[in-house]
Parts: sequence; C-alpha cells; structure tokens
Amino acid sequence: MTPLRLRQALTLAWLEARRAFLSRRSFWVYLLALFPAFVFFMHGISVKIQRDRLSSRGVISAALMDSVRESETEAAVIARLGKPVNDFAFDRRAKQDRALVRRVNYFDGSRILVLTFANGVLESKRVRTLVNLEEDRAVFAMVFQNFYLRLAVFFGCLGIFVNLFRGKMMDKTLHFWLLAPMRREVLLGGKYLAGLLAASLIFGLGALLSFRLMLWEKPPAELALFWQQHGPAHAFAYTAAAVLACVGYGSVFLATGLLLRNPIIPAAVLLLWEGANPFLPSMLQKLSVIYYVQALCPVAPPPDPNMPAIMQFLFSPANPPSRLLAVTGLLLVTALVLWLAARAVRKIEINYSTD
Amino acid sequence: MNGAEVILEDVSKFYGEVLGVNRVSLHIPPGITSLVGPNGSGKTTLMNLMAGLIHPDRGSIRVRGISPRDPERLMRITGYATQYDAAPRSMTGFEFISSLLALHGHSRSRSAQLAVQALERVGLSDAAHRKVAGYSKGMRQRVRLAQAIAHDPEVLILDEPLNGLDPLVRAETIEMFRGEAARGRHVILSSHVLQEVDIISDQVILIANGMIAAEGEIRSVREEMHEHPSQFLVRAREASRVASLLFLQDHVTEVRLSEDRQGLLVLTRSREAFSQALASIALDGYGIESVAPVDENVDALYKYLIGGEPS
Repeated sequence: MTPLRLRQALTLAWLEARRAFLSRRSFWVYLLALFPAFVFFMHGISVKIQRDRLSSRGVISAALMDSVRESETEAAVIARLGKPVNDFAFDRRAKQDRALVRRVNYFDGSRILVLTFANGVLESKRVRTLVNLEEDRAVFAMVFQNFYLRLAVFFGCLGIFVNLFRGKMMDKTLHFWLLAPMRREVLLGGKYLAGLLAASLIFGLGALLSFRLMLWEKPPAELALFWQQHGPAHAFAYTAAAVLACVGYGSVFLATGLLLRNPIIPAAVLLLWEGANPFLPSMLQKLSVIYYVQALCPVAPPPDPNMPAIMQFLFSPANPPSRLLAVTGLLLVTALVLWLAARAVRKIEINYSTD
Repeated sequence: MNGAEVILEDVSKFYGEVLGVNRVSLHIPPGITSLVGPNGSGKTTLMNLMAGLIHPDRGSIRVRGISPRDPERLMRITGYATQYDAAPRSMTGFEFISSLLALHGHSRSRSAQLAVQALERVGLSDAAHRKVAGYSKGMRQRVRLAQAIAHDPEVLILDEPLNGLDPLVRAETIEMFRGEAARGRHVILSSHVLQEVDIISDQVILIANGMIAAEGEIRSVREEMHEHPSQFLVRAREASRVASLLFLQDHVTEVRLSEDRQGLLVLTRSREAFSQALASIALDGYGIESVAPVDENVDALYKYLIGGEPS
C-alpha cells in the first residue's frame, strides 16, 4: 500500500469513526456495551447496601460463627453469639406435627450464618457468603460469553458495520465516498478500520469496565491476591476477546452490508449459527467467530443445569483451539471475508432509487 | 484529441429489466455540453456512468483517456455534483468540503484553503461554518457544486446544477461554467431549464428512452433535421403579397398572416431556399422589414425530435 493510500484509508477511518461514535444511531450500541457493567454495578451497590445494613446490626468474629454445633439449644447459641442481625419466628404445621420455628442470622463481615431452630433446638445451619469472588467470576464468564459476545457485540457490530455501506446507501450519501480519488479497496479498508475503531473501543472498554465492576465490593485480601495472580491476564483476555469478536463480526457485517440489500435475514441466520455452535459437528463449529473468541476467555461458564436432556445429549463443544491458533484462525476467517467484500466493493453501484 | 474527450462507445446499461441507456456512442469535446431529456430518459444514468458510480453492461467509456473503473485516477480530474440532495447534515459546509478534499491526500491546511476557495466561488462563504442542516435548498445545491469544483477538476459533471438557485446566483454559476469551458475543460450538465441550456451550451445531447436522439451544436443539430420545418417571422409592409409569393415555393409548407396583417409566420423545409426566395422578393420591393428564426432553440428541437415536453 502506497503512503497516499494509507493516508486516505486513515483519513476516511477517522471521519467515519467520528460519526460512528457521535451518531444518535449509536446510542443503543452504547446501551448494549454498558449493560453488563450496569448489572455488575447494581450488584455491587446491592452488596454494599446489604453489608452496611448487616454491619450496623452487629458483626461477630468468624471463630464465633464457626463455633455453632448441631443440636445446640437456641438459648445457648444466642447467649454465646449475642443479638442476631435478623431474627424472625413462625409456626410450622406439617400433618400432625407443629413446631415453633425461629430463624436467626449472624454476620462476620463477609459470611452470613443462617440458623434455624425448631422448638428451641438447632435444626439446620447454613453459611453463605455475601460476596463470592469465584462465583462472581463464573457469573461474569457466563454473562460475557452468552450475552456480551453472542448478543451485545454481535448486534453492536451489526449496527455499526452494516451502516458503513448499507446505511450510507439508505442516506443517499455513499456516492460522496465513491467520488473521492481512491481505490474501492482503500475505501473498504478505511470503512472497516473506522467500524473496528468504534466497535473495539466501545466493546473493549465495555468489557473492561464490566470486569472491574464485577470485582467491586469484593473482600480486599481476596481481591489483592486475585490481582497478583490472574487479574491483569483475565482483564486483558476479556478485552482482547471482545476486540477480536469485533474484528470477526465486523468483517462479516461489513460484507453483508455490501452484498445484501436487507441484512436482517442473514444476521438472523448468523445469530442462529453462532448460537447453535456447540451443538454443531466439530468441523462446522470451526466456521464461526464464537468458536475462536470463546477460546480466548479465561474462565469457562458453568453448564446450564436447566438444559433439557435432549439438548444435553446434543451439546458437544469441540475442543477449544490454543490461543495462538484461535487468534490466527479468527484473523484468517476475517481476511477471507474481507477479500470477498473487496471483490464486492469493486462492483458496487449507486442506485438509490432501488434501495 | 481523443485523450481530451469524453468518449462513450456503444454503451448500454440496464437495471434488471429496465433500460437505462441503450447503445449510446458519444464523443464529447471540451466546452459546455448539456444533456436534455424527459424524466427517466437516461440523463442521470449517463452521468453516473461517466463518473463510475455505475458500470456499463456493455460498451466502454473513457473520460479524457481514463476508464471510470479507475476511480483513483478518474476522480482526480473529475468533479461530479449529483442531484441527490444528501450532503451530510450534521457537518458544516466547510467541514464537508474539506473532509472530502482530505481524501485527495491534501494536508489539513491545504484542504481548508481549497474548501474556502470553493465555497467562495459558489457564494457560500458566509454560511461556510453553518451546519448543512440549516441550509436552504439552493444553498445545499451550491455546497454540492462546491464539492464538485473544489479540487479544480478538468471534467465537471453536473446533474441539474441550476435547480433551486436564485437568478443572481444562477447567472454567476453560468458565468463560472463559461469560465471553466474557456479554460478548455469539460462542463457536462443536465438541465430542464431549456432557455438556459440554449444560451449557455456549446453542445446539446438530446436523449429519450435511453437513446441519443440528437447531438452536436444546437444549430448543426437543427440542420441535420432536414425534414423538420424551420419557422421564421417576417415583417413586411405588403405582408399578404409576400405570403402569396412565398406560398408558391415548394419548400414552404405553411404561411400564417398575423392579425395586424404585417407579420408572417412561415414554415419551410429548406432554410437556404427560403433565404434565396425571400431575398428575391425583397429585391422586388415588397417592403421586407425584418426576418427572424423563431424556433432555433432547444424547446423546438426537443418537441420535434422527442415529441414531448422536456422535464
């Protein structure tokens, strides 16, 4: 590529990216990108409110909390642990049995002890953590792979990249770009770069912000250890996965906008294809963006316990590729799609009356 | 000379089943050339073909030796103001022009300088930094014209460039076209304001149903149409005598006497024979005061060649 063509592509990318960022049409893309961050932020707020509320009612030591044994009496436990943070009683009637049940909670700063007494004797004891980093990381992995990559980035890229050609055709402004003295391939490259810049920044930063907010309100010691061990690598991996998803989906939607008048049907087919990816034969799974992008995610989402038996039977995710192979594979798929798009852009014609 | 012409050789373009243009061959020399034809006749298709916005299904096009399939070279020498009223409304006129100039590879300062000059030429300096959304129809027309001329192209293709312009700006714009033509450049425009086309054009191309009905200088096109009667207004003291003498001529098909009985409308199939006959009558002392052709304009040609009103 000559310096002039490079300059043209970069100029075009800058002009188009500015529009992609500032356009009113992009508003919903920001909403999609920030939705997980909003959810984790609200979760953090909820944890903070709950912790402050429980702390204000009294915190006991962890040792005291662990000291409760089965068959202890209600009076002994309360005498030793003090006033509970939550306390309520009710009558329980089951067939001929009737019992006076009292349920009390204690809080040690991070865990909640739930004790249930029946007729004054400890019947059950449960401990749940107010915040659980491992659990939240698993939830984040699930949200990231099942919502962020498959839906938010997918539809965000659909909106951004299809608009680069098809949207301009609808606005009747595409001809201005075609009247510039540049090769059509340079036009395609510049527009792709513009879309990629916009999508990567929006969704890359969205992923990073969600990840940071997922870690908000976690116990400081646990958090420090996480940042020492995996934190930066995981943050990078999620951001990179979001950016690479933009690379892959962006190329597909750019080509779709060039080749087809109505991108909705192919987008629906692609959405189905990507969604059904783990149910497809192993060979076909490799012909998707999600296959490569998922391989970059550091945490596998937990299996869905509510999945129907027949789906569980068909569910057979192919072995994920190595990260190097995933990145290479995705870039190869992208290059192939962009090559097809370059062939199409050479033939593109302005015929607004039929659009 | 071919390298300095816009040449279309046997060009056809179809939109599916619909005809755009059919087997069009043209050699357009520098100067002002007007495309005239009704809606859907193929004027915009021809212009889009020349600018490479669409590609011919058949035939070849060269714009000063450059194929429209090579936009990198073509658009350096070509400026095209389309009829699509779609300049980006969120940008100012200056931003719109300078951003397109930046794609030519100009530096930011050079782009700004050229944009200012172009906007000045179309009389939009005062509104340069206002959003296009706030422009009137005429201003939007002018900003598109500025976009077409900003890089000082050798070939200007202008689709209905005088639409929506007020009379003063219209006159200035026509003067600008003449200036470009005087510099040896191509100004190819379409218009339905036929009086203007008549006045400003060096060449006309009459197009109907995707085919060229006639092309060339207005006068020479007219001369090609031997079968089409020319009309002349003759003023004479003895108009009724002159009428009867003219009516004896084979080439005169119709003579009408005006109400004041001093004017004649004469239709003749031969301008030369008519001139000779009238000269002879004048010498015989019938008081011929004036002779003027009345239909040597595009309207007349158009009606004759295409059989309808131009759009």
